[in-house]
Amino acid sequence: MTETAVNLTRRQFGQAAGALVLAFTLTPHPAGAQAPKLPGSLNNNRMLDAWLRINADGSAIIFTGKVELGQGISTALAQIAAEELDLPLARVKMVSGDTAQTPDEGHTSGSQSIEYGGTAVRLACAEARSLLVGQAAKRLGAPAGALKVSEGVITSPDGRKLGYGELAAELDFDREVTATAQPKPPAQHTIVGRSVPRRDIPAKVTGGAAYVQDIRLPRMVHGRVVRPPRYGARLDNLDEAPVRAMPGIVAVVRDGSFLGVVAEREEQAIKARDALTRSAKWSGGSELPDPTRLHEQLMALPTQASVVSEKQAVVAPAQKPSRRPTPDLTSRMPRSARPAPSPRSRTAG
Amino acid sequence: MSVHDPRKAMTISLKINGAQRSVPAESDTPLLYVLRNDLGLNGAKFGCGLAQCGACTVLLDGKAVRSCVTEIGSIGEAEITTIEGLGTIDKPHPLQQAFIDEQAAQCGYCINGMIMSAKDLLDRNPHPTAAEVREGLAQNLCRCGTHGRIIRAVLRAAQNMGKT
Repeated sequence: MTETAVNLTRRQFGQAAGALVLAFTLTPHPAGAQAPKLPGSLNNNRMLDAWLRINADGSAIIFTGKVELGQGISTALAQIAAEELDLPLARVKMVSGDTAQTPDEGHTSGSQSIEYGGTAVRLACAEARSLLVGQAAKRLGAPAGALKVSEGVITSPDGRKLGYGELAAELDFDREVTATAQPKPPAQHTIVGRSVPRRDIPAKVTGGAAYVQDIRLPRMVHGRVVRPPRYGARLDNLDEAPVRAMPGIVAVVRDGSFLGVVAEREEQAIKARDALTRSAKWSGGSELPDPTRLHEQLMALPTQASVVSEKQAVVAPAQKPSRRPTPDLTSRMPRSARPAPSPRSRTAG
Repeated sequence: MSVHDPRKAMTISLKINGAQRSVPAESDTPLLYVLRNDLGLNGAKFGCGLAQCGACTVLLDGKAVRSCVTEIGSIGEAEITTIEGLGTIDKPHPLQQAFIDEQAAQCGYCINGMIMSAKDLLDRNPHPTAAEVREGLAQNLCRCGTHGRIIRAVLRAAQNMGKT
């Protein structure tokens, strides 16, 4: 879970990190007013300070609503931020997995974290860098284009230097992202596009806090759900009293046909779940498919087709396609690397 | 139907990573829950709870066992070693270092079991072949498909441990 202190309680975390908890404001567009569409996750998290903070020592903290699932996103987003900010990778810290601090980016799924979250981090960091350079230009009395930026230090043509930390103190990132600052062209990348060690692996091989299961809250209790024997089965009858008398039981939870148990200790919840399973009487519901005929059953299920990608090959001008080709990655590949053209390829999922 | 029997509620003393620890748990409690919930040791993971996947592996007197089905009452004086007992993030064991060097984790959930089973394997066979590593870790499941890197990491660790 990147570098968030997941072994702390939320309260302790809030105390420990009080200095970096940001009160980022809501978007300034009043209800009904048309806010311009911003790229990627910026569109729903429009304030610059929702995405990053520059510390007094010139290092950066990046806030992401995407979480590390072993896909390497905590490392990749840090690379993107370091690249755009012209900071060494080690001076970019990531905060993830704490909704009190991070932008709301919805799910982490579908290989979309770079596309949406990465786009936002890239543009927010490019904008922050441009603000820092603009401030330095004012302070140094030199045009922004004449300044050099390296490792968080901005240098004027006559050799005077200003650090990000000092400049950031004079800037307010509590402002809406405009997404107008040009990010670096890929040809200038020195950090993005290179393999770097994943940030999440050391904790994962030494028993560090790395998973949501590793979060322990004060006075946390443990629950188990009693699953019905058949899909849609109705819970008819249950002798709760003996289970309530078992050690450590906090509650037997029954809501219609939902049945669960809460206990002080995990193994107590498991024993109580097993006891409830033995005691519960269910009726109705549909039988699960015969495991020996699973393949046939799956093939017989109703299907629904949805297009996840539609591509149209570039065709010679004489046979002009009736529609404009959909831009896709292949159009940016060198011609030799493009897939063989076909009149129309369609991927349905 | 089991009903609360105060005679069964007890404190059990266990030797874990070189320290004596007391836990307020019944003797049939699986070691995994004591490690994770009572002692805050994150290394061993709950995977299947049925001794089938290996994510919960710890060493008992040096032998790899599945902590999800090892009742604490059965351990007695045996020494328990968890991945936290091998090394730390600042001073990793050669196996942990090799897994970092080979970047041998995707989600990483199985890696505790891979490292602890590999520790048992290397203690018995310090210079295994790739086939022996594969055989030694055959009962540890990885769903991400990191097997190639995991085998390389164990072979690298064996080589590095041979040097020192």
